[in-house]
Amino acid sequence: MGTGDEEYDYLFKVVLIGDSGVGKSNLLARFTRNEFNLESKSTIGVEFATRSIKVNKKIIKAQIWDTAGQERYRAITSAYYRGAVGALLVYDIAKQLTYQNVERWLSELRDHADQNIVIMLVGNKSDLRHLRAVPADEATAFAEANNLSFIETSALDSTNVETAFENILTEIHRKVSARQMDSMDGDEIDKVCMKPIRIDATTANTNDSAAFQIKQFCCNASA
Amino acid sequence: MRLDIGKMGDHVQKYASDNDMNLKNSFWKKNIRNLPGRASPKKESKSVSSSASTSFDDFQESVSDAWEIEAEDEILRISARECANSAHPPASSCYRNRFPYDVKISKRVAHSAAVNVINNHKASIEEIHKSKNYSNSDLQGESSSQTYKESRHTENRINFSNSEVDTNKLTKFQVLLESNLLQLEDLKKLSWSGVPVEVRPMTWRLLAGYLPTSSERRQQALDRKRIDYANLVKQYYDTDKDEVYKDTYRQIHIDIPRMSTPLFQQTTVQEMFERILFIWAIRHPASGYVQGMNDLVTPFYVVFLQEYLPIGTNIEKLDVSSISKKNRDSLEADSFWCLSKFLDGIQDNYIFAQLGIQYKVNQLKELIQRIDGTLHGHLMKHGIDYLQFSFRWMNNLLTRELPLRCSIRLWDTYLAESDCFATFQLYVCAAFLLHWRQELLEEKDFQGLMIMLQNLQTQNWTDTDISLLVAEAYRLKFTFADAPNHLTTKR
Ligand SMILES: Nc1nc2c(ncn2[C@@H]2O[C@H](COP(=O)(O)OP(=O)(O)OP(=O)(O)O)[C@@H](O)[C@H]2O)c(=O)[nH]1
Ligand SMILES: [Mg+2]
Repeated sequence: MGTGDEEYDYLFKVVLIGDSGVGKSNLLARFTRNEFNLESKSTIGVEFATRSIKVNKKIIKAQIWDTAGQERYRAITSAYYRGAVGALLVYDIAKQLTYQNVERWLSELRDHADQNIVIMLVGNKSDLRHLRAVPADEATAFAEANNLSFIETSALDSTNVETAFENILTEIHRKVSARQMDSMDGDEIDKVCMKPIRIDATTANTNDSAAFQIKQFCCNASA
Repeated sequence: MRLDIGKMGDHVQKYASDNDMNLKNSFWKKNIRNLPGRASPKKESKSVSSSASTSFDDFQESVSDAWEIEAEDEILRISARECANSAHPPASSCYRNRFPYDVKISKRVAHSAAVNVINNHKASIEEIHKSKNYSNSDLQGESSSQTYKESRHTENRINFSNSEVDTNKLTKFQVLLESNLLQLEDLKKLSWSGVPVEVRPMTWRLLAGYLPTSSERRQQALDRKRIDYANLVKQYYDTDKDEVYKDTYRQIHIDIPRMSTPLFQQTTVQEMFERILFIWAIRHPASGYVQGMNDLVTPFYVVFLQEYLPIGTNIEKLDVSSISKKNRDSLEADSFWCLSKFLDGIQDNYIFAQLGIQYKVNQLKELIQRIDGTLHGHLMKHGIDYLQFSFRWMNNLLTRELPLRCSIRLWDTYLAESDCFATFQLYVCAAFLLHWRQELLEEKDFQGLMIMLQNLQTQNWTDTDISLLVAEAYRLKFTFADAPNHLTTKR
């Protein structure tokens, strides 16, 4: 099975979390395959997909882990937060409870994810206007207070799906570049130029699965 | 009595069914510990190594001469292909690689174990000769697209046709099922290699331990159980749901509408599933409902549904509410009780943190490491974690990886495995992974491997593929479960 787009400058691991049924798998399907399915089965454990996009002239490959929403799977799925540099925390705008649970998901992330993880709050199913249970400005205020970015999407009619992923990947890219600049003083630049930088220490055991891997950063920059 | 296995396998039709059964009985009784469906009782304990050689020796003694006498080409060809299918190295090198330290398990014994299983599965193996998939490897290029279309066509249709199953076998089942006092062991032996569609509902009820073996008490028990279930529905479902169960109900309610195919989109069907799962969850508070359990109801539901339909009905086009209320209630009750019995053996899969599954995933990893270091190394090198792909295999008992008709065939074997199918499933998962060995080795990065492992292409699989899979699983279990340095002895 060809995986295509092998060339990339950055590889970012992103997780999709949130209550069961909010539409995580469909957001992923929409973003990676442009598909939507009303009868998509529940996710068991985790599922994986990738897509590369261009941000600031750099090719960013997003390695996206879709997790199962049910509480029972938490023990399994939280293992996948490790090494993630971004998280899309999804709720369903038509289901108040899934929004209330956002707090719990945030604390899950605090417990299991890298502290620098970029989090985006996503209110999905924006097409269900007539059923809206969570006002957009309430979620905006909550996101601001908690230092998260926020967007409403619809996996069904595609609204904002592309934008949501683009935004979070751009944000991650910005953060990574800044951190990289910070750490580059004098001699260190040479070292960085020699090999890819791995910012995440926990999963950096193989080339492929390293979550936070930056290829050719300096070489490209100096070219 | 000496048993000629080679002959038995090849000329199975020539034996009168009674006679044949006797032969099988005497064979199996002698090697009771190696019966498919029954793990060696000492397998999990630390004293394994000492007992291992005994059971292998027993087995060897009972089969070795038969093996020498009748080494039919055909059988060899099948087992060789089976080896090739699961992409093992040639036998001569593979056993040496696998047992660098152990000389007791000869190639011949391990091989004869596989052949023995396959012989016992003669009925389904015969299908190979008919199947286009297997007829000729060099035909594949041309015929595969055709085969694909054909199976696409039947994909959502439960195979009612009996063409794949020996009618002789059906007769044996009927004789057994009609006997006054059924020997459950006989039924298990017969069922392990697949149950004919006509007798599957009754056979499954018996295998699951839902119905008594005494034929005269059966109807009475069935009636009582169905009433019991109706009472459970009244007690738990029709009344106001307790606050603590609201979460359970909500989760079930999120999952059920996501079951695909038209049959499961019918409100009548979804309500039946909801009741079955909700009541099961309430009665099993340690685990409760876990996502994916709905997939475990499906095989039971579909098999019992068949009882109320003429053979050959396309169930995907069926309107279930056209079946009488009484029959629907029976169908629901039977599905519930059989599911309950079935899940009893694997409850630790679904408790908090799903420790049972985590443990089995580890066992799978250790097993593959021992069986096929190359594949294991390949997966490790690319950062694949067994949990990432096999969690779902274990949680859903492969139902997500296989077409429904294949899951049903696989469950014939699982049910015939009784209390030990949890163990056997580990070997089925191992055989399943090894089946894709070649394709996996060709993937050169994490992403390619993960995507392949999540989408293993089984949509063309038939009963034959499952028969080969379980035969391979049986061989692996036989070869590795009792071997020195058994995976569980490491802990
Ligand atoms: N109207 C509408 N329905 C959606 C949207 N996204 C998903 N759905 C539906 O919501 C249901 C749940 O979607 P999934 O993507 O399976 O939800 P999930 O978050 O992955 O759920 P788990 O795997 O159980 O954690 C499905 O029936 C989808 O078709 C959306 O944007 N609009
Ligand atoms: Mg999902």
